[in-house]
Amino acid sequence: MSDFLQVTIDKFTFRVDQSCLYSSEGIWVRIEDGRVRLGLSDFLQQRSGDIAFIDVKPAGTFLAIDDEFASIETVKVNVMLAAPISGKIVLVNPELEIKPELINQAPFGDGWVCEIEAESLDADRKRLLDADAYFMKMQRDAEEAQQ
Amino acid sequence: MSNLQKKIAIVPCSGIGKAYGTVSRIAAYQITEDDRPQHTRLIPLALLVLGDEECRKFMAENPAITIDGCPQTCATKMVQQSGGTVVKQCSVLGTARSRRDLKPQGIAELNEDGEKLATVLAQEVVAVIDASVKPGDGGNHA
Amino acid sequence: MPELPRKKVGIIACSGEEIPEGTITRLAALRVLHQLHPENTVTICLPLFLAGGEGDRSFARFFPTIAVDGCEKQCAFHGTEKYSSRPAAAIVVTELIARHGLDKPHGCRKPDAVGMEIVELVAQEIAGTVEKLLGNGGR
Repeated sequence: MSDFLQVTIDKFTFRVDQSCLYSSEGIWVRIEDGRVRLGLSDFLQQRSGDIAFIDVKPAGTFLAIDDEFASIETVKVNVMLAAPISGKIVLVNPELEIKPELINQAPFGDGWVCEIEAESLDADRKRLLDADAYFMKMQRDAEEAQQ
Repeated sequence: MSNLQKKIAIVPCSGIGKAYGTVSRIAAYQITEDDRPQHTRLIPLALLVLGDEECRKFMAENPAITIDGCPQTCATKMVQQSGGTVVKQCSVLGTARSRRDLKPQGIAELNEDGEKLATVLAQEVVAVIDASVKPGDGGNHA
Repeated sequence: MPELPRKKVGIIACSGEEIPEGTITRLAALRVLHQLHPENTVTICLPLFLAGGEGDRSFARFFPTIAVDGCEKQCAFHGTEKYSSRPAAAIVVTELIARHGLDKPHGCRKPDAVGMEIVELVAQEIAGTVEKLLGNGGR
């Protein structure tokens, strides 16, 4: 069971799962049993809005860091999601086909986006932020957005 | 004994935070003012939730179609909590997914795509209403 | 000295669909939120608030709110008071119309010209109330 860091700004509460690493854009990375799972952080999904569509690159796609691995479309924005690590997509969350709102409802749980077989995990993870560092960055971004 | 025709309550969420809330509102107006005024009545959600007697009575006696702007499904939840019977739950987001060509924008005033999406949604609801009201009948409920 | 969060004002519009004054509350609230005081205001979505939206309810507990209602039933005011805290201010459009001796607006879906003038009047009333609640300084 994960612990969360949490901050409330105006009427919005943003959580950061402490078991994950993060890209500075807000893609979380959870490493379990050699597989790497990716998803949107709580701040990223709230800022983007209700997800109407998500297009994820299919299993078998090779990604370099910053390659697009998915794109989301909401009533507010279209967002390209950049790969935080390099590797091959091995699994796309099948639930998102019919229920993309899972990303909004459970961004760190059932709303995961895809799993990757990492190519250079040790090197790539050094570029990521730990939960505390991402929390501070997120807090600054959130406060700026509300002003 | 006269066979009073039941009306269908149309309950939009009218959420103010996003365009989809306005789509729910405009669709409700289209249904109740333009398409099927004789078979429907628009019920303001807040009035119902806060216990307006006349609204509650109407909801207890008539079926409801809810139109929710987002997955929070406030209209559906609160109609059910207020003792209403939801016979059809419409989702603006669900309809938007079937019409990816439409990009609704604007909260105070919808853009053209938003108005079109409201019309598509209104037509879905009208189909449900028409299926529940048989011509020549004193008034079937859904 | 702890840094206090920037003070903001929540605006809760009834958005009542049955009368033109309900639509007027919605448009006036959005005008203030998007144009007159975008940095100092937050809109509270009344249906979400009533359905249990904890973020909106918590906000209304700790920050001042303005309830903007179309008629004397005051759904926004009573709803906020019931589920969170009493609003700091209340604006009722029918009362404002009477006070200013204005014509009755028409058009629930889209207010007529009279209605749009009343939208602006209500928006200015909300904006003035926001400034008072913020102490005119914004913080």
